[in-house]
Order: sequence, then structure tokens, then C-alpha cells
Amino acid sequence: MKSPSTIPHPRRRLRRATALVAAAATLAALSGCSAGDDGQVTLNFFQFKPEAVGDFAAIITDFEAENPGIRVIQNSVPDPDTAIRTLLVKDKVPDVLTLNVNGNYGELARACIFADLSGDPAAETVNPAVQDIVQSLGTCSADGADEVNALPFASNASGILYNPDIFAANGVEVPTTWSELIAAADTFQANGVSPFYCTLKDSWTASPAFVNLGGTLMPDGFFDTLRDEDPATATVSFQEDFADAADKEVELFSYCQDNFASRDYNAGNKAFADGESAMYLQGSYAIPAIRANNPDAAIGSFPYPVTDDADSRVVVSGVDVGIMVGRNTPHAAEAQKFVDYLMSPDVVAAYSEAQSTFSPLLDAAPNNDPALAGLEPYFSAGKIIGFIDHQIPAAVPLVNLLQTLVITGDTETFLTDLDSEWDKVAARTTTQRQGK
Amino acid sequence: MTATATRAKRPAASPGTPARVRSNIARTPRTFYWMVVPAVVIFFGLHTIPVLSGMFFSLTNYAGYGTWDLVGFSNYINLFQDDRVLNSYGFTFGFAIVSTVLVNVIALAIALGLNSKIKFQAAFRGVFFIPYVLAILIIGYVFNYLFANSFPAIFTALGLPGLSGNLLASPDFAWIGIVITTVWQAAAFNVILYLAGLQTISADLYEAAAIDGASGWRRFRSITFPLIGAYFTINMVLSFKSFLQVFDQIVALTAGGPGTSTESIALVIFRGGFQGGEYGYQMANAVVYLFVIIIVSFLQLRILQRREATFS
Repeated sequence: MKSPSTIPHPRRRLRRATALVAAAATLAALSGCSAGDDGQVTLNFFQFKPEAVGDFAAIITDFEAENPGIRVIQNSVPDPDTAIRTLLVKDKVPDVLTLNVNGNYGELARACIFADLSGDPAAETVNPAVQDIVQSLGTCSADGADEVNALPFASNASGILYNPDIFAANGVEVPTTWSELIAAADTFQANGVSPFYCTLKDSWTASPAFVNLGGTLMPDGFFDTLRDEDPATATVSFQEDFADAADKEVELFSYCQDNFASRDYNAGNKAFADGESAMYLQGSYAIPAIRANNPDAAIGSFPYPVTDDADSRVVVSGVDVGIMVGRNTPHAAEAQKFVDYLMSPDVVAAYSEAQSTFSPLLDAAPNNDPALAGLEPYFSAGKIIGFIDHQIPAAVPLVNLLQTLVITGDTETFLTDLDSEWDKVAARTTTQRQGK
Repeated sequence: MTATATRAKRPAASPGTPARVRSNIARTPRTFYWMVVPAVVIFFGLHTIPVLSGMFFSLTNYAGYGTWDLVGFSNYINLFQDDRVLNSYGFTFGFAIVSTVLVNVIALAIALGLNSKIKFQAAFRGVFFIPYVLAILIIGYVFNYLFANSFPAIFTALGLPGLSGNLLASPDFAWIGIVITTVWQAAAFNVILYLAGLQTISADLYEAAAIDGASGWRRFRSITFPLIGAYFTINMVLSFKSFLQVFDQIVALTAGGPGTSTESIALVIFRGGFQGGEYGYQMANAVVYLFVIIIVSFLQLRILQRREATFS
């Protein structure tokens, strides 16, 4: 039998081990938020674009050279929208962030995750039309006033990409009206050329066309009305106001190649780069990916001719990269410095050239990329509207409904489904909608 | 021998019942507590507490971030009116029933074959186990490629253009592709369990049956199947439970599409809860789902155990 004196021994050892683990954990936690041993401030920079890691690394190196007291650590993850929510659940808001300014951003901004940047001098240099797109997604209105929660760093545009060589070979002009677009597609089909290369294996690739059609055809302020109204007495609905857009969506996708439902976005970029189709229903963001497949790919662009009125054409533009600052960051001054550096004209211009984006700054030189030449005038003239899918909460499976729509062609089911999904989500998440 | 020794000792050490219990505990070596207590703490900390906090959040409108309010049972009420959730239950149960039946029929057939005296028996057993070793996500991506590229090319070459489409791209038939992939992978594990069961049956029974002139089918129906009844039960329960939780293969094959035609319950919970900002609502879904699985497994166990043969 063991004597009682031996019993406390393992316990004491356990206690010591616990103390060690606790000490190590505290140390790790402290070093995360301290000013560092040599007075240096470390900024945690959440960067969402995997293809731009190199560009941002170069920007950070230059920034650190100018500001020896500040160190910036770039964190880039796959699936950033899910990653940022996971960080927020743990109450870990990065000091400085970039995010795609979409519906997801809007929900986070309304939840008051980000600092107010309206007092930032950099905010004055931004094109107001672009800032409006950011503001329309939602802001924190904690003190009753609308805040500026993100500054646009790079804008993209959705239009039809086309292959100028194929157009010339078939004697087709760039279409400016809906009838001309359909006539062009018919000509290509008659000549044995695929009009569009569609990639419906990835459900979201049905949405660029839809945001252009729906965004142009919907009544003004559709989403504001829809959000404010009681579903029972609503005067607007997808069924009422989006029927035309849904019909045109189905008509466009009837010109796809045969196996369109089993091809994905990567296959589409490759096929368009190799000249397998005359047009491609994507946006400026696809240009770097197409060039990665074929650096000499012939690419042109033009805005969606949604109606038969050539003057009513607009370009759907979103803020590809927005910059935010964590609301409660302990390094607000340093974060501000970094944001100002990012928003400086040279940095923005260099980035937009490298990534084929548009500069959201007021007095920026136009992007000279020939692939963007068809869209650039609309952007400079401010003839732009936002992505309407950013107005639809993430809980509504919009892209999946669109995928079904273009495969089955059933517009009636699509519109009623979209209405019912919207109503269900609105009923469930009233507090988030109100910007509490 | 040892049993008699202990029994002889016990009355002498403790005359009353309570005293005997206490002395039994005192005599248990401390080692066992050192094994059990950490396990209980870890289980409670990593399983029970998250489950309870999840159940709490199912009563709120928490989005996963920001502020939240208690909303009572409205999440549960909304859940039963949400046709997307109800459709996912329909899909998941249909998928689980078809897959369970197919997996068990195929696994039992393979196990019977592997249990008989065939050449290269060990090699065959190894080959059939390989699918189970591979990660389901990887198998999913391989099958995804096969369905999108290889099968259409093969059927076209065979002169069957009607079958040359991608199964996964059709809203009506994509589930068949998921069933094929799942059955191919899951059968391996059930083969192992059935093989273990088949080896418990004594060869004498078959010899006696052979003398009586019983056919192969008759031997299977009257000897083999009743005697592996317990293995059949556990295979049915385990496979049905794991097919109700189907997630990985769907992510790799269709991502719930085309449209929402192959969304399983687990996929809806993940999408809505972690990507759609409806953490509280999908927690309610997860709580319901937990009880559904527990109840289904329990009922299955009761019903199947009742028809197991007892030969002891």
C-alpha cells in the first residue's frame, strides 16, 4: 500500500505544469498587443486578396522604410469572408483590413466593427460616386450620423469582355443596344463560333450578367423600399420588378456552349484566353486571370447593352478593395498613418496598373490598359451603379437560384423563390437590418 | 480461483453493506481515476460546454459578431416554415436511405466473397479497404473530374451520346453522382465489419447444412444472415447515421448545386451559420438535427435488434 505522503506529489507536479502553461499563454497574449521591446508598434494587417500578396508586400516594405517605428504584418487567408467572421466571433479585429466591399462588408459595418474614417484627409480625395457605392451598403450609425467605415482603394467594373480578333473576322461591330447584342450572338452562332463561354459549375458566374441586367432595369431605390417595407403590404418585389431582367438573363445564357453546366471559372478563363468564344460575361477582375493563361490574349470590353437605348448604358462597378480600420485598435494613430500611405495617389495608381483595376481617386489618371478601354470612359464620367447582389443578404442563396434559373429557364420559380427567401431572411434578422 | 479467494476475504473485512462499498473504492488503484478524470474534463470542456452554449445561442438572433438579443423560440418556429431547410431534410433522408441500402447490400456481397476460399484473398481484402483510407474530400475531387470529363468522353466514344452529359450538372440527377461516390468509399468499412462477423460462424454449421443438401442461397438465408444479425444492425445504424451527416462529398462534388438541389442539412447549417451571418438561426437548426439523429439511431437500433436471432 502507498503511504499518504506520496499522494500530493503528482498533484504538485500537475499544479506546476498548469502554472507553466498559463504563464506561457499570458506571455503569448501580451506579446501580441504590446508595443514591442524597442518601442516599435506592430500593426496586424488583414489582406483578403491572395493574388495581390506580392503587391502589398512591396507597399509595406516601402512604408516601413519611411516609418521605422511601425512594423506591418500582412495576413492573407483563403476564404477571407468566413475567416474575418471567425476572427470577430473571437473579438479579434485586425488593426487595418482590406475586404471586398460587398454585402458581407455591409453587414459588418452596420454591426460597428470598423472605425469612422470620415475625418481622414484621404477621404477628401475619393471620387464621390465611388464612395456612394460604399455608403449604400450600410454604415455604423451609432451616434445617429452616418459614418465612413471604408475607403475605396481599387474599383472593378463588370462588362462584357470580347475578343476583337473574332469580332473582326466575323464582321461584327461592338453592340450598343440589346437588339444588336442578340443579333451579334446569332451571327456568331451561324458562323460556328460560340457567342459566350459560360461556366455554370461555379454558381456565382451567373451573377455578373444578372447584376448588370437587374441593376439597370430595376426602379430607383428598389432595395431601400424593399428593406423598409412590410412584406405583407409591399409595393415592390422581385416578381414585379425583375421579370424583364430574368427573361433577358435566360436569353443570354441560351447562347452558351454545350457543356456549360460542367465547366468552372478557371476553365472559362482558359477557354476565353485561347479564343474559344467571341464574348465572356465577366468583369475587369477576370482580366489578370485570362492573361495568366495567355499573356497575349486579345481582350476588349464594352458595357452591357441592356435596353435599346444606347445612351442609357451604365457600368456596374464595385469596390474591389476597401480599406478599414478596427474600431477599437490600440494603435489608431499608426493605423491612420498606414491608411494614408495606402491611399496616396502613387500607391493607388501602381496597384491599379498591376491588378487591372480602376483608381477610385478623384483626380487619378485613367487606366491605360487596352482591355479596359471600353469601360474606362463610363467610369471617369461617373456613369456607374453598384453591384445589386451586394444589397442582398448573404443568407439568401442568390447565386444558387441564378444557377437553377439559367439551367432550367424557369423565370417564374426563380422570382417567387427570391421573394420568399428575402422575406424569410428579413423576418429572422430584423435587428441586424436596423444597424444596431 | 481468484474469484473464490476474493469472495472469501470480503465478509471478513467488512460486515455491513455500506462499509463494503467504501472499502471497494478504497481498494481501486488510483491509476484508474487518473485515466478517467482527465477524459471526463476534456470531454466536458470540448464537447458538453460547446453543445450547451450552442443551444443557448439558438435562442438568440446572434449573427456571429456584433450585438444580439434573446428571441425565445422564434428561430425554431421560423425553422419549420423555411422550405430551404425542409428541402434539405428531404434530400438528406432520401440520400441516407438509398446509400445505406446500397452500401450494406454491396458490402455484404463483397464480404461473402472475401470470406470464401479464393486465391489472393489477402490481396483482395487490402484492395477493397483502400477507398476507406483516402480522405473523402480528395475522392470527391477525383470523382468530380471523372463525372465532368472522363465519363462523358467514355460514353461518347461508346456511341451513347444520351449518357454523355455531366451527371453532377443536372438538378434532377446530381444526387446519383453523390450516392455513387459515397457508396464507393463507404462500402470498404462495412466490408471489414461484415468480414469480422462472418468469421465468428463455425464451419461445422455449413458442413451439417451441406450434408442435409442445403443450397448456397438457403445456407445464406438460414445460417449466415441470422448469425451475423448483430453486425447487420450495427452496420445499418452506423452507416445511416454517417450518411445523415453528409457534408464533405457534397462540398467536393456539387457544393450543394446545381441551384440548391443537393444541399444537405449540414451544408445548410455551415453556409447559413458561418457564411450567411445567421449563427443563432442555424444553431437552432443544428439542435433539431442533433435530436433527429439521436432519435432515428435509437429507433433503428430498437427495431433491428428485435429481429436479431439469438442462438445462445
